[in-house]
Amino acid sequence: MGLSRREFLKRTAALTAASYVGINLPFKNENTSQASDADSWHKGTCRLCGSGCRLELGVKNGKAVALRGIPDSRTNYGYLCMKGMLFYKLMGYNNPDRLKKPLYRKSKKEPFKEISWNEALNIAAKEFAKAVKKHGNNSVAYYGSGQALTEETYIFQKVFRGGLRTNNVEGNPRLCMASAVGGYLTSFGADEPIGSYTNFERASCFFIIGSNMAEAHPVLFRRVMRRKLDNRETVKVINADPRVSPTSRIADLHLQFRPGTDLALLNAMAYVIVKEKLYDETFLKNYATFRMGKKKEVSFEKYKEFLKDYTPEKVSDICGGNITPEKIRTAALWFAKSEGTMSIWTMGINQRKRGVWANNLIHNLHILTGQLCRPGADSFSLTGQPNACGGVREGGGLCHILPGHRLVKKDKLRHQVEKLWGIPQGRIPPKPGYHTIAMFEAVNQGKIKAIWINCTSPAQSLPNCDKYRKGMSREDVFMVVTDIFPTKTTELANLILPTAFHFEKTGVYGCTERRSQLTVKAVDAPGEAKPEVWIVREWALKLAKELKDPVIKKCVEPFLGKEPDYELPKAIWDEYTQKLTKGRDNDLRGATYDVLKKLPDGVQWPAPTKEWALKGGTDIKFVRGLDPLADKHAKDQKPYQFYGPAHPDKKLWVWLRPQRGPEEMPDFEYPFYLSTGRVIDQWHTSSMTGRIPELMRANPYAYVEINPKDAKKLGIKPGDMVEVASRRGKNILPAKVYVGPCEGMVFVYWYDQEESRMINRVTKDAFDPGSKEPEFKICACKIRKVSGPKPLKPFLVEMKT
Amino acid sequence: MPIGGFIVNVHPDHLENSIRDLKKISGLEVYGSDEKGNVVVVLEADSSKAMEEMVEKIMKIENVLSVGLTYFNVEDEIEIQEEQGKKTIH
Repeated sequence: MGLSRREFLKRTAALTAASYVGINLPFKNENTSQASDADSWHKGTCRLCGSGCRLELGVKNGKAVALRGIPDSRTNYGYLCMKGMLFYKLMGYNNPDRLKKPLYRKSKKEPFKEISWNEALNIAAKEFAKAVKKHGNNSVAYYGSGQALTEETYIFQKVFRGGLRTNNVEGNPRLCMASAVGGYLTSFGADEPIGSYTNFERASCFFIIGSNMAEAHPVLFRRVMRRKLDNRETVKVINADPRVSPTSRIADLHLQFRPGTDLALLNAMAYVIVKEKLYDETFLKNYATFRMGKKKEVSFEKYKEFLKDYTPEKVSDICGGNITPEKIRTAALWFAKSEGTMSIWTMGINQRKRGVWANNLIHNLHILTGQLCRPGADSFSLTGQPNACGGVREGGGLCHILPGHRLVKKDKLRHQVEKLWGIPQGRIPPKPGYHTIAMFEAVNQGKIKAIWINCTSPAQSLPNCDKYRKGMSREDVFMVVTDIFPTKTTELANLILPTAFHFEKTGVYGCTERRSQLTVKAVDAPGEAKPEVWIVREWALKLAKELKDPVIKKCVEPFLGKEPDYELPKAIWDEYTQKLTKGRDNDLRGATYDVLKKLPDGVQWPAPTKEWALKGGTDIKFVRGLDPLADKHAKDQKPYQFYGPAHPDKKLWVWLRPQRGPEEMPDFEYPFYLSTGRVIDQWHTSSMTGRIPELMRANPYAYVEINPKDAKKLGIKPGDMVEVASRRGKNILPAKVYVGPCEGMVFVYWYDQEESRMINRVTKDAFDPGSKEPEFKICACKIRKVSGPKPLKPFLVEMKT
Repeated sequence: MPIGGFIVNVHPDHLENSIRDLKKISGLEVYGSDEKGNVVVVLEADSSKAMEEMVEKIMKIENVLSVGLTYFNVEDEIEIQEEQGKKTIH
């Protein structure tokens, strides 16, 4: 007799889980008479962080009904987190809040009215054309997202640069990983990590700094945790952070330093490594030079001299917190002596006034000790969004870079792109456009007259956001927003265009480890929502007519007549990979849609041929025999070849970078450090996770975390309403009294859309002079109790038509 | 009636106690475990919300280190949501 359907599904669930850890269960589900649990299974990538977890969506009668991880996938080995488990609730008609029709209003004071796609695209074309004719090409801008598919970012930037002749092409990755890009380019000569997630299972020492990966990247954290628990005596975990977080639970050593003293701490570890002769002399001799200032080469002796200001004794005083000279020595010793050390960081390092320098100083430790290119040894920046690396860093989604890691300002590279696109030489302007903060400053000043914001919510995610919301509210700034839900940014738009969500369209995401993965459409988008690639193509055709400019049409000509669900994105991917990545360090020519579909988890670049791509691509860059480009570019017999485009000497650079504090230090009037971050189950501006009731209920509103010692001094009890005020704005939030932040520091989650709990009204918009990434992580604030606990409600923007 | 398959990681030194605590949660079945602290668990709940609450309960058990989802089926819940979704067109 057959099992009941419930029993069948439960057994399927148990067998799937057991297969991940190699546990044998005493039953099988084969040969049962039951119908399968879904009509079809569709491979894709989770959309709700930068890990790139692979999963299959089960579709029955055209509806998404089940999710399962893909056990063969080298990103997640089948595991998913709660966000990943529930994101089907945003698909198709599963969510009543989805945007389903184009909406327009001439004035931002009016309510929105539903209009047709034809009308909507006509309006968008006329407004952009009007701005160009009256105010010039740099009066228009695109602001995109690390969540857009590569095909989307690529076609948007192509139309803006080649068609509208502006490099005002930016995206929210400027807010999260620009400092990591700057760090990789200046230290290693090439963007993106050298190694891969495979190092999680090979490392003997983890140095986790400025990352709460247990909450922000839970599936990857699981791998680190498993490695530690399976090798408790031999694997060491160091967690360096001003805040004790769930990530600290597995740490052997927690370095709790005062915010903004990270550069000193890293230099002190280097001091110990040099002083105790823990460095790898041969590695340094073969592969490294020392640099200071812009890029002046200096000697090892000069570096030693520089480090004298960073003895553990001096630095423990600078760092405060729980830092002692002994802890610094222990950390340096474990780092240098382990068989493979892997550093892991995210926004705690990147979102700093000197984020690039902080990145350099982590890389320094790896170069000094030779902890690179061998199993378990890597300097690895985790990315926050699913396609910040693939779409934006590689696809040309920032104002200074063109597709294939080309700099706008290099004439030769710019002309290469013009030639590959078949447009006249000189069409792309030689000057980079506005970076994010400068772009929204230009909106404030009325220099930008028409802006297209795609798949992101700068009205909430920019630091000191009230300042920039003023510009976005201007009546003389025409704003188009493409998104799936109402957000704080759609509230300021003239035109809202509803888009298809993940699994409702086709395209590629490139995750943290240089891995490109394809998701093919599996369910229909609700209402009239459309894929962005279709929207841009149709808009460009209308724009070409308005401006009487055939070159705009030329930009989308290769894509005319293609159906939008598969053929169109495929044609865009083919152009990008076959033409634009050819001969570049992110060569993806082997990673065609057909190849990507064959693999459980996609391809890591460089992957210049299909044969190489079918093997999964390149696990570790720069190693001869493992990286085809290392063999191709080899200039000698050494095993490592650092062929990155940014370093003419083909060496790794150890940087002399001094300690620098934050832009704004606590003082008498504003005595606390304010830092912001994430909480598990909510993501970024909660525009998606907030629409999933289970996730919203788990974290219905933001808190301010206060150290118990500070709370006692100020008479604040758990749940009390507390005002957090800076020179820019204030919030009133319930207090969480908790040994998380160190004394003198408070921490607020930034997802909440409710005005009085939106912490970016308080944060500071200072930015790194190199990467232009804002210093979200540190500013000065004051706190006071306003009242006892009050009942609070969760809040999400509603669409009023 | 969603059904979820999970690997719950517990501290290997406290495997038996942890499994005993897990089994106290109604709607939870333990299908197997190993000496590394991997426990195969299936949750059956009335709604996704109820399952989320069960996961929160599991997270609060002492010596539970992580809860990893590997399989999730919601076929009957989806039908109800689709009907609701079709009613609201912006």
